[in-house]
Amino acid sequence: MSVFDAYIRKVAEYVEALHENGLEAKVFSRPGAPERISGGLPVRVGPNAHRGIILRSDTYLELGNPLAGSCAFVLWTDRSSLIEDGRITLLGPDIPESAGESLPFGQVLIMGGGGLSVKDHESLVQYQYVSDQIEGYMIKSAPDRVWSRVGKEAADRGFDFETLGRALMAIVKSAEPRVEAMEIVFLTTGKEVVQGLEKIAAQIRKIGKEIVKENWKIRGYDIECASDCRSCPEKRVCDDIREVIAVRKKGSKGKDRGER
Amino acid sequence: MALSREIKERSIRRYKEERDWFKLNLEAAELLGTEEGELSARLLRILLEAKERVVDAVENDKPFIGGYFCNAPEIFTSMGLPWFMVMETPFLAASAPFILEDIDGAEEMGLGSDLCTAIRLPIYYIENNMMPIPTCCLGLIYPCDGAPMLHQVLMHNSNWKNVPLYSCDPPYTSDERAIRYFADELREMTRFIERHTGAKLDMDRLVEVCERSNRVYTIWQEYMEVRKNVPCPHGWEMGGAQCFAISQCFDVGNPKSVAWFEQLIKVAEDRIRKGSGAQTKEGWREKVRLFWFDIMPYGWIFEFMPWLEEELGAVIVNDMFGNFPYSLIDTSSEETIYYDLAKRNLVDAPMIRQARGTAENFSEDIRRIVRDYKVDVVIWPGHMGHKDGAATVGIMHETCRELDVPFLHVGLDLFDKRYTSIDEVKDKVVTFLEGHGFV
Repeated sequence: MSVFDAYIRKVAEYVEALHENGLEAKVFSRPGAPERISGGLPVRVGPNAHRGIILRSDTYLELGNPLAGSCAFVLWTDRSSLIEDGRITLLGPDIPESAGESLPFGQVLIMGGGGLSVKDHESLVQYQYVSDQIEGYMIKSAPDRVWSRVGKEAADRGFDFETLGRALMAIVKSAEPRVEAMEIVFLTTGKEVVQGLEKIAAQIRKIGKEIVKENWKIRGYDIECASDCRSCPEKRVCDDIREVIAVRKKGSKGKDRGER
Repeated sequence: MALSREIKERSIRRYKEERDWFKLNLEAAELLGTEEGELSARLLRILLEAKERVVDAVENDKPFIGGYFCNAPEIFTSMGLPWFMVMETPFLAASAPFILEDIDGAEEMGLGSDLCTAIRLPIYYIENNMMPIPTCCLGLIYPCDGAPMLHQVLMHNSNWKNVPLYSCDPPYTSDERAIRYFADELREMTRFIERHTGAKLDMDRLVEVCERSNRVYTIWQEYMEVRKNVPCPHGWEMGGAQCFAISQCFDVGNPKSVAWFEQLIKVAEDRIRKGSGAQTKEGWREKVRLFWFDIMPYGWIFEFMPWLEEELGAVIVNDMFGNFPYSLIDTSSEETIYYDLAKRNLVDAPMIRQARGTAENFSEDIRRIVRDYKVDVVIWPGHMGHKDGAATVGIMHETCRELDVPFLHVGLDLFDKRYTSIDEVKDKVVTFLEGHGFV
């Protein structure tokens, strides 16, 4: 059992609740090996498949601009049975019907593999930022979020969320063969719908930070001070000094100095 | 007690000399006749206007502030208050001809040569009455231990003793609770400024300034996207430092800054369409893409960076001040404005982000920038004052090893070319790049 299993269920419940509230879901399925997943895609996929950048004037649509709403995270588990391999769920408008739009964007990549452990967490998280591996698709350089663009040329060739989902699956499975199953959820409707996902994401990020901290510790590095005032044995000394300063300030004539 | 005319005149003398140095730079930029030259000229005009506002305030007894880029300067603009940065000379004018003389002066005072030059210089200026004495001052008790010391000096100086000082208290963490706490600190800071300057914060005006600031940051991000291109359309001459200076120091949330950024992105996009790299000289090509993970070496930049780019084809595609982790300010309520300003100033602002926060920021920023900007080499200049960063060199090195990207740690003073000589720095860089087969 992995630390994120409960959150995989939470995401499924969230999607289900949206569906029950009348939001239509498009579901695509392409399980199996990377070659099978990427076969027949309208754009190239893999290292350096996308060269250069997509300028504003060449942009067909933008996804995840923070003003529109943006939330992305990765979940993984060592129990592949929790995942329906190859399943891509889209809630909201697809790319071809959204020319010139700036859509809110939620993206959840869920990966499963018997060999996955907390040691892999950092590298698995990186897979959501496919910088140059999908032709006609560019992710902006922004920490902790996926804010991306689809180019006009790619859109003309039929780039849609099935394309994006399959491309992401092919990239992950090629680079990390221990990922046996993968599922993706895309949300493109309503800032509040994406923000709803953010509640789960905040918890995921918190857990992720703890994992990263522990992984660095194993390598011999503390990335955070382990102690604070509450745990410091010298706290009483500091408290006494503060009291003395407060008494002195009260007696001081330079009142403005007491501001801080 | 009011300051005498003599003290005031002396306090502004160096500041005026700095202004005049930039006037000279403006004349040179106007002669360049290139689009980048025009951008530099416009930047210098904005800078000079900011300096003139401070000079005017000193000479005509108008209220003005001493502060920092990470004190939410959008608030100062909204209140119509001129301001200058207490560490302005090392940060924004380190190429001025008197800088070495002033560093010597700081050493002679007994400050030695190990204390960060960005701290030593303002101490020297304050102690020798060479810095404008503001109506009130905002301190900076983070990100490094040297900064509070500077403000202790300021509090004990006879000319500054009646200058009220307020320093926002920075929490160690960066979570929601920490940001909310810091937002309250900024609110208290606003009340402090109102109390001591007589200026009032008009929320409608703050909304307007923040929206303009959002426009600036949106274009800045777009510009940084453009710099991901191979070849990078600009090198060391135009980039993060200039964007930072305008958006966070000299013209925060003003229409001129929006216009400058619009011109910047237009020029950069034109270069992309033409396939131009950082240099347009025939036969020149971009050979190696560098991430310079610190402030640019402004004390000796003209003696180093042109050599790096022109001779070696080594292009700085990003640096600490071009690193763009910013989020926009939600202007829907006072609550959201202060929250987002707190995030920007506590978590995102350059150097603050790295030195105050957990070491994870060093690692994560390297990881993202190397990946997104197709960086070949990460250079940690190892500025003598950045002891906080020195403590994380191992983490940076490990991260680069994991990414399979060479990491160079030099060891120098970004403002004083005598600390490690330029020849020595060049030698280290060229040996490293040759050793890795880039040049």
